[in-house]
Amino acid sequence: MSKQEIGIVDTRNVLKAIKETHDLDFKNHALTFFKRRLEHIMEKYSLRDAEVLTDKIKNDKDFFEQFLKEMAIETTELFRDPSLWRYLKDKFFPSVLKGPGSYKIWFPEASSGEELYSVAILLNELGLLDKVQLVAGSISRLRLDGIKQGRLDVNKMEVNHANFKRIFNEAELEDYYTQRGETGYIKPDLLENTEFTLQNTYYDKPPRNVKLIMWRNQMLYFNQILQERLLKAFCHTMVPGGHMIIGMNEKIDYWNSGKDYILVGDNENVYKKRFS
Amino acid sequence: MHKAVIIGGSAGSFRVITRILHALPKNFPLPVLLNLHRLKHVRSGFVEALSIKSNIPVIEPYDKESIKAGTAYLAPSNYHMYIELNKKIALSTEEAVNHSRPSIDLSFETAAHTYQRNLLGIILSGANKDGARGLKKIKDSGGTAIVQDPKECEVATMTEAALKMTQVDHVFSTQQIIDYLLKIK
Repeated sequence: MSKQEIGIVDTRNVLKAIKETHDLDFKNHALTFFKRRLEHIMEKYSLRDAEVLTDKIKNDKDFFEQFLKEMAIETTELFRDPSLWRYLKDKFFPSVLKGPGSYKIWFPEASSGEELYSVAILLNELGLLDKVQLVAGSISRLRLDGIKQGRLDVNKMEVNHANFKRIFNEAELEDYYTQRGETGYIKPDLLENTEFTLQNTYYDKPPRNVKLIMWRNQMLYFNQILQERLLKAFCHTMVPGGHMIIGMNEKIDYWNSGKDYILVGDNENVYKKRFS
Repeated sequence: MHKAVIIGGSAGSFRVITRILHALPKNFPLPVLLNLHRLKHVRSGFVEALSIKSNIPVIEPYDKESIKAGTAYLAPSNYHMYIELNKKIALSTEEAVNHSRPSIDLSFETAAHTYQRNLLGIILSGANKDGARGLKKIKDSGGTAIVQDPKECEVATMTEAALKMTQVDHVFSTQQIIDYLLKIK
């Protein structure tokens, strides 16, 4: 089926259907992204037009779960941007985990799991995994089910291994997963200390006393209104001096954002919540 | 009248693009959007390499950065780069398309949607078929389509795929592409 183009009126109708039927609000997703995503979903599920899509959103529960999964954009691969992970391994984690006390790391949208798995593997290599509590959120139940099982897309193993080799000299990625048929599974003990939370929004009831938020390449999909709202909510839920890591081509840049966050960390997009 | 240039390429296009950037004057009147396949893990270095000989600034844009004339925007490694209706760049980590992220097709298609008949699309040397669909969309939207002469390409898969799918306006050597760009006022 060739790609359907969906108009602005159709897009609004879909937004309305989601809001009315499921009480979820996508209106502050970046509009063109949202529209494109709808087209992608229509193509993938062979839906004839926006009317069929709207109808399925309203009446087909299983389809709507798939829909939410499609809206939680994948995190692409393990150890994406190896230089960041080298920085986390050599400098960041050894420094922030030096003292006693608990250390909570939040992944507001863990999606396909790679960021969560990467942090767990890295901390395990550093012998620090026991010192942290991981909290993995998602708007998609299917995504959460996937990461609870430690699922890993084996089609990406080549790049996963290549990234891993750029960070660890001695260790082997093979030690961290098993493969059964077409699916890989992360070793379950890595996620023993992980809490999973299904969320309606990302700002609704965030976990408290968070010390690190891993939020790479998620802002891309929101407009500036929602970006700012989330950045402020996340700042609020972090302890002073806590950190936020965003994608390489993202910025924290709202009016007076310098009062909330400062950029730290050699060329990596690591921000710190100001004390004050 | 052209209002933006978008260029796609992969294997064998680096030297061509370097030559083009070297030839463009400082006050080149259009934005130049670049989507070149390259190794994923090499995050830095590429932009610097392209900048050395370029007279216009070459940058990897931030998400939602505004597009300005006289600047070259290189799709960052491992992101799709979309050209939005408000003349801003949007990045995404959505699924690879034809095993490519960045996907030339996606950049070309969204740019065609935004700039319509005012877009100039160029496909250079490359090792896969990415870009063919995007160039067709540019042509279908009334824009101008140029393909590097496959005889001159290090790898001709990309240009041949584009030529197969679209009745392009010009098949040009690198020098002819440069001459064409320099005539743009």
